[in-house]
Formats: sequence, C-alpha cells, structure tokens
Amino acid sequence: MATRPRLQILILIAAALGLLAPLAAPAQDKAPRKDLVLKGDAVCTRCHDEGEEYPVLSIGKTKHGTLADGRTPTCTSCHGESPTHVNKPADATERPKPDRMFSKASLTPMESRNEACMTCHRRDANRSHWEGSTHQLRDVACTSCHQIHTQHDRVRDKITQTEVCFSCHKEQRAMLNRPSRHPIPEGKVVCSDCHNPHGSVGPKLVKRDSVNETCYTCHMEKRGPFVHNHEPVSEDCMNCHNPHGTVVENLLKARAPFLCHQCHTPHGPNVPTLLGRPASSSFPSVTGGKNPINITQGRGCLNCHTEVHGSNNPSVTNPTPQFRLR
Amino acid sequence: MKSSRPPLSPIFLALAAAAVAAPAQAQQSPEVAALANPDRASLSAGIVAGSGTEKDRTIFGQYNGLRKDDVNWLLDFDLVNRDDATGMWTTIRGRNLGLDSRELGLTLQRQGDWRFTVDYSELVHHEIRTLNTGMQNPGSTNPSIVRLGTPGTGTDWDLSLKRTNLGLSGDKWISNNMQFELTFKNEDKDGARMWARGYDCASYVCSGATGAGVTKWALIPVPEPVNFNTKQIEAKFNYVGEKFFMSAGYYGSFFTNTNGAVTPTVPNQLNGPFNITTGVSPLATLNPAVAGGTSLQDVLQLPMALYPDNQAHQLYASGNYAFTKSTRSTFKLAYTHATQDEDFLSMGLTGAPAGRSNLGGVLDTTLAQLGVTSRLTPKLSLVGDVRYEKRDDKTPIALYNIEQTTLWNNGRVSSEKVNAKGEASYLFPAATRATVGVDYEQLTRELPPATLTGPDRVIIAGISGLRGETQEVTLRGELRRSIGETFTGSIGVGHSERTGSDWFSLTTATYGQSMSYDQIYNRTGTFPFNIADRKRDKAKVTADWMPTERLSLQFVGEYGQDKYDPPSQNSLREGYMDIVSLDAAYAFSDKWKMTLYGSLGHQSINEADRAAYVADTKNRSTAAGLKLDGKVSPVLDLGAGVTFVEDITEYALSPDSASSASNITQNAIGLPNTKFSQTWFSFYAKFAATPQTDLRFDLWHVISKLDEWSWGYNGIPFTYSDNTTLTLNPNQEVTFVGVRFITRFK
Repeated sequence: MATRPRLQILILIAAALGLLAPLAAPAQDKAPRKDLVLKGDAVCTRCHDEGEEYPVLSIGKTKHGTLADGRTPTCTSCHGESPTHVNKPADATERPKPDRMFSKASLTPMESRNEACMTCHRRDANRSHWEGSTHQLRDVACTSCHQIHTQHDRVRDKITQTEVCFSCHKEQRAMLNRPSRHPIPEGKVVCSDCHNPHGSVGPKLVKRDSVNETCYTCHMEKRGPFVHNHEPVSEDCMNCHNPHGTVVENLLKARAPFLCHQCHTPHGPNVPTLLGRPASSSFPSVTGGKNPINITQGRGCLNCHTEVHGSNNPSVTNPTPQFRLR
Repeated sequence: MKSSRPPLSPIFLALAAAAVAAPAQAQQSPEVAALANPDRASLSAGIVAGSGTEKDRTIFGQYNGLRKDDVNWLLDFDLVNRDDATGMWTTIRGRNLGLDSRELGLTLQRQGDWRFTVDYSELVHHEIRTLNTGMQNPGSTNPSIVRLGTPGTGTDWDLSLKRTNLGLSGDKWISNNMQFELTFKNEDKDGARMWARGYDCASYVCSGATGAGVTKWALIPVPEPVNFNTKQIEAKFNYVGEKFFMSAGYYGSFFTNTNGAVTPTVPNQLNGPFNITTGVSPLATLNPAVAGGTSLQDVLQLPMALYPDNQAHQLYASGNYAFTKSTRSTFKLAYTHATQDEDFLSMGLTGAPAGRSNLGGVLDTTLAQLGVTSRLTPKLSLVGDVRYEKRDDKTPIALYNIEQTTLWNNGRVSSEKVNAKGEASYLFPAATRATVGVDYEQLTRELPPATLTGPDRVIIAGISGLRGETQEVTLRGELRRSIGETFTGSIGVGHSERTGSDWFSLTTATYGQSMSYDQIYNRTGTFPFNIADRKRDKAKVTADWMPTERLSLQFVGEYGQDKYDPPSQNSLREGYMDIVSLDAAYAFSDKWKMTLYGSLGHQSINEADRAAYVADTKNRSTAAGLKLDGKVSPVLDLGAGVTFVEDITEYALSPDSASSASNITQNAIGLPNTKFSQTWFSFYAKFAATPQTDLRFDLWHVISKLDEWSWGYNGIPFTYSDNTTLTLNPNQEVTFVGVRFITRFK
C-alpha cells in the first residue's frame, strides 16, 4: 500500500498528466491501453495493480517479467483468457472469477492450476518426473510452494525454504532442532539438497536414484565397496540414521547398544549399564572389553567396532578386521 | 488475506492517468519501473557479540559460525541487475562473509539462452563435546597415546570438520529443442572426528594371564583424521519435443582420501579393565613378555584402515512422453559402474592375501523405471509405476581372513529390487477425491555359499540367519479435499505386510540350509529387523481451515505402528509413532501478524535380548513456536518470537524369563532418561533511517540443555584406558546481540 504522502504525489501526477493529455493527444481518447509490465497485460492492468492482495506489477521483477525472453508469459497465459471476468456479463450480479485462480481458497482444480505452469516448465529436466510424483498425486499445487508475483520466492531461498516445506511436514520441523542434525536451521543444508519436490526416481522424492546415492553426494567415503562390507549400510543409510535429526550422536535412530541389538546377537549376556549408576552384585565379575559399560557408554558397540561402515583392511593376520575392528 | 483498499487504488489512478496521457510512450513510467524493475544492490554490515564462553555455545554454535569468538563481524551483500533489452541477469551474493559459514555466489544468465553460476562456500561443524586427553597429535595419522594420571588433567581439543565447496554450473540452449547442462562440484573436507579403538584380546592373539596387573583389554581414543576430497561432474543434453522430453547424460563422482590408515602409538601400560568397576585406575601391563604371543600393545598399534578412494560413473537417459494430453509416462534408464581399487600398500595396510594388491571392488548397478499416469475421464485417474534396480557386485573373492585354523573370504552381496505402484483416484462431489493404491517391493539378496569349509566360505557374525528374498505389499486409501474456500483436508490409512523366503541358516549345525520360519525358530536367536516379517499400519489426518480472512488454522495428525515377527523373540519387536500438530496464523491488522504452532509426538521401540533384557524405549518430542511481526510506523518494523523444543527418552528395561539373577538385578537398576531441550527467544527491530538505509538490531537468548549419559553420569565421566574424557556443559545459556547497517544503492 502506498503511504499517504506518496498517494498525494501520485494523485498530483495523475491529475497533471490528465490535464495535459487532451492537449498532447486529443484524438487518442479511444486508443488501446499500453501494456505496463508483461506483453499483453493491458487487459488486466487496466484494473489490477500493485495494491492487490497479490500485487501484480512486481511480477516484472521476476524471470516471468523478462520481456527479452520471448518465452515469458502474459497474465492470461496462466490465468486464462477469462472473457466473462474481463467483460462482466450484463446479467451477472458479481463479476465472475478469472478462469484460473491460484490462491489457497481458489476453486480452480489442481490439474488446471499446475498445467498453467507445466505447459512451459515441462521443458525443465528437474520436472521430468512430476507426473506420478507424490506431490502431484496428492494435489499439491505449484503455487502451494512457489510465489509467482514476487522477486523473493521463499522456497527458492535457502534461509526460508524450510518454512515452506514445514507447512506440511510437521514431523520434520520437530526434528531439525535436535542436537544431532544437519545444518538446516542455519540454511546451509536445505530440503532441496536431498529431495526433488518435483519428482524423482528414488523413494521419498530423494534427489538421486536412491537414498544411498543421495547421501553419497556429501558422504561419499561411505560408498566403498570395502573388503569387509556392512550390508545394511550399503543397502540403505536410513536403516540406522534419521537425516532429519535425532538426540543420538551422528543422527543415529537409537543409541548403541539398542540400535545394534536390533540385528545382532549381543555380547554377554549384558544389561546396558552406566558408570556412576549402582551396579548389581555380579557386575564386578564381568571382565574384559565385552562388558556392559563399554557397550553402553562412549560410542557403545562402536567403541570397538569402529569401522561400522566397512573396513578396507586386507590383513589376514589376527585380529582379523572382519568384525570391523580396524 | 485480502488487503483493505479503495475500489481504485492511488497507484492505479496514477498508472491509468499515465497510460491515458502518454499512449505512445515506449518506456515504462518511473512508477511502473520502480515496481517492475528487479535491479537492486545492498550491503549489510554489522557486528554481533555473544555472552559466556565457547563452552556455553557448543550446542547453539555447532554450525552457525558463532561458537569460537565472542565478537563476530556480519557482512552480507547482494546485487541484482537485469538488462531489459537483452534479458541479461547478473546476480552476485555474499552471505555470512564474516563467519566461518561464509557463502559467495555469482550468476550470469541470458534468460532463455545460457546461464553460468559459480558458488563458493565454507562450513565448519564443531563437535559439541570437548576432548580432554594426554594424546599427542590427535587427528593425525600417527597419534601418540599418553595416559593421564587423573581424568580431566589433559589438554582440551575441540574437534571440527571444515567443508570448503566450489561449484560451477551452466547451461546453454543449443537450439529451440536442445539444451546442454554442465555442473561441477569440488569439496574439500578437513579436520577430525571422534573415533576409538578397543579390543578384548582373544587368547589365540594375546597369550598370558589376565589380571589387574596384566590386561588383555583396552579402549583408546583415536580421532579419525579427515582429509577428503570429492568431485562430482554431471553433463547432460535435454531434448524437448512436442510430446517427448529426454535428458541423456553422464554423472561421475570421485572420492579421494589423503590418508590411508591411522596408526597410534600406544604405551605398554594403561588402565586395567577393573577400573571401570572400582573407580580407580590401576595401571595394567599391555605388553607382558610372553613367548610366542602377540601383546595387546602390538594389536593396538596395528594400522586402522581409513576410507579408501572410490569412484563411480553413471550413464543415464531420463524423461517423459505424452501419449495424449491426459495420458503421460515417465522413464529412466541408468547404468552405474562403481569401483574401489586403492592400493593396500599405498594406504599403509599390509597382509593382503597373495595376489591381491587392492580389493578390485566393482559394483555395477542397472536401473530401469517406467511410470504411466492417465486421466481416463475428468474424474477418474490411474497411475502405474515400475522400478527395477540390479546391483551386481563383481568384486573378486579372496581369502582375507585367517583365524587360527578357520579361513574365510571377503563378502560381497549382489541384489535385485523391484518396486511397483498402482493407484486409482476418483473425484466425488464436493471436490473430494478418493484414492486407493497398492505398493509392492521385492528385494532379492545374494546369499553366501552354503558351506562352512573350502575357499568359498564367507562368515557373517552376530546374527542367526539371512533371507534371500523379502516382499512387501502395501494397501492404502485416502480421502482428500484439496479445493475449498475455507476448508481443505485429508484422511489416509495404509497397511503393509512384509514377508519373505525361507531363511538361510548361519548356525554351525545347520549352516547354509534353507529353513522355514518354524524350522529355524530359536527363541534367543537374532535376525536382522530389515529382513524380518513386518506388519505396518499408518494413518494421517490433515485439516486446513480459514474461518475468517484473518485467521487460518492447520491440523496434522499422524500415527504409525510396526510389528516385527522374526523367527525368535529377540531383536526389534515393535515400533510406534504418533504426532499431532496445530498451526495458527492470525492477522491483527494489515500491519501486525502472528503465527503460532505446537506439536507433540511419541515414538517407541520394543526390542529384546532375551538372555539379558527387554527394552521398551519411549520418546516424547514437543515443539512449539510463537512469532509476532508488526509495523509500528512507516519507518519502524518490530518482531519477536520464541521457539521451544523438548525431547525426552525413557529407557524402560525389564528382565526376560531367561535373564540371570544378576541381570534381573541390573534391569531393576536400569538406565536414566535422557533429555534435550532448547528455548530460543528472538527479537528484532528495523529502523528505516532513510529511504536507502536501514538500521537493524537483533537479540537472541538461547537456553540449551542436554542431559544424557553417553560420556558420563552422576559426575563420573566415562574414561578411556588412558583417562581421556569427553565433556559438555549440559546447561548452556547464551545471549547474542547484533547490530547491522543496511544500505541500498539502487
């Protein structure tokens, strides 16, 4: 909204220009209106301006408003020709809505809304798998995430992108502030670093073809293969990790030994035990490294099974590294 | 929410007048140009100062660059310019330039023709705990372990990892239908992270007696030295036809590790194993002079392998095809050749089997995907999708293990995975869409040779059986109302069942036999959760309601439950989660807005080691936030907010019928809860000093509490055999004040 001094100046400008207009072009009263921002926008900008709920002229600041690019749209490319909106039928009590509206309360079908975008953006490799993607099938509109009429599209800014994603993904919002996390709140890692919201071949819309291949883009050292592989590692990182944040170090879903015991026969039998916690009478008789404290505290099982992602140690002499000890 | 405005806004009046008055004007009026021209340049410079010491900021300052120093510079800038005549964009941006999380980027783009981008960024991850040790050269490939007389009397080391990234990317439209894209990313990752080595020396390795004076057990800290480099390059051609789109390209990724192994120097005396029970630290000899044996000192000084270099090359074709306007398909074909052939000796690793100088690791992956979506009628849509992935592990087998008289090979596992999806949805009245779907996943894994003897033998330890194949079928349904003036929402449910083939026995007596569930059933056996039978139920409810133009409310509720049924009573038994979340946004006026959210979630895991314990781990997660933003005057913006997160995990241990008396007692002692919470208060004020300059003031107050027992409990630290400890201030409170001057040049 214009401020009051600005409003007064504008009215004065308008008035001055209006007074001069008959002198300058007395024969052009019925001349066609000029486009203001986009090619062919005059039909819309004769009524709509920056004071709208969704200001229209600032689209000129965006890639859509770059007139030198012959592919850029005009208002009706997205909103439709909307003849009854442009020329209100005589018998209509209210002016009909444009053919396509994109606001949250719009009644325009999602397919129609998205087709307005995909007509052009289907040419983009990042959207090659939009059809059949989770977001497409769940009726997520492009404009649910993107703001078209503004230079600052929140979802394309690393600092503000998560706010947009978390408008639906609440569980992830709760996780990202946990002590073991990616630098998501700092905007150094964002959702779109790992996910392609426009569709992908991998599960959960991960950016590359699988969870692991996506993780390897930053954690390539884990790829191996190793002399001694740890099969669940090469199968799916998310068997053990939750990339959105956990309270256990290294984004582990659970702490050792509990995580490890979900697959492995425990050493022992041992009950997880802490230094500083009273121990049962039998505890002092437990000797050696395979004791309940060393599997519970520090790095837990990983105190000894250090190379849990795989070891490339070829040694055939004892102690052999097949248990990923070295 | 709609803004309240007069029927014809003042901007409209001015624009209309201008348009009428100068219909032949070729240039935009200044008013329009100001609203539609993207050109801008701004510089933000300031200073931020924090309270407390570095130890008070370890949780808050893991990644934001504000941990080390009390005072930091703030420097950001951005420049955007568009040449309207040519469509040429120039964008230059710098963020956090005064911090160790700095970013710098440049993009040149002639829109619709070509684009070039270069990005540089740094990121340091600081470990939240401090290492106190007598070790010399921690984080190097040759650390020297020095036992401290008393824990906590060593040198403090703050481990960190720094990533330095350089990215180059560009694209060019070669013709109206053909685009070329190229991206390159180089990353250096340097520093050290926590690692350790421990060994309970088997009698066939370390001879001699064990006692308080002569030990065969030790646990020492060995931080992993990190000097990594990764390079990724992707080049592709995109073809755009009237009905057909295809990308065909190459993606190469290369990992290089400067270091091959870490070899610690270990003294011949460290704390004995009994110090952990008595609280004292008796010195124990690691290197007893026992003829014919290897000492524990020798074992602990053996090299530990670091990550080897590896590389992968992928060729792919991916795209879509429109059979008709309402029936479209997607596809992808990809072939990846990944290798790992770093020379063992160059890594500093010896003892490889005869004839092998490197692993010769080869993993070839073939991927094929085809999907079809069709809107058969305006109301009925169908979706089908099939994905096939074959991982062919061609790594040569060699004899890498000799344990006394037992021999076995390196392991390799090829696998095939098939995913299929079918879905139908129908649009009912009231804009309500009903969807039913079925998902299928089949995973086939290569099993080891069914022999305990001979050169093909592979050993897999710590589990009772494997499974060559698993299948999972998911049935799901959803009702969704995506379109509505005031209310939208959905409710969905899903049920999955995972079953699989017979089991491959790893028990010595029946090794390699294919056994049914009943045959292999062993109450105390252990079978991996990711191949066990599983039933999963999920449900989700969402609702968006805008009762007024000023108020919007959003509710999300989710529930999920897993029940595992391995052929035993051990390992993972059940998993559970739920979360409810409520968001609200309210606009008091055009100038004052408030957002509010709260969520409460639960997760639980039930698992068992029947010989020792049953664990019922329960987690409760709470998150809430309140934010208020307003415009006090045309030149003053104010905002304040608070966020709160709390995460409490309860470790409920109980004995099993097979637990010994001592384990029953220990279960009764149990484990304490762990708790994390963080409360973050924030306030800002932005004053527009002139139309081109702002002055911004920020205040943050952050309270972080982490109460958990991994590295110590009840005042007693967990100590390595050299008395190294890791510590953390469990109650951290920090206040930061920042002031910055923002000026706009355009």
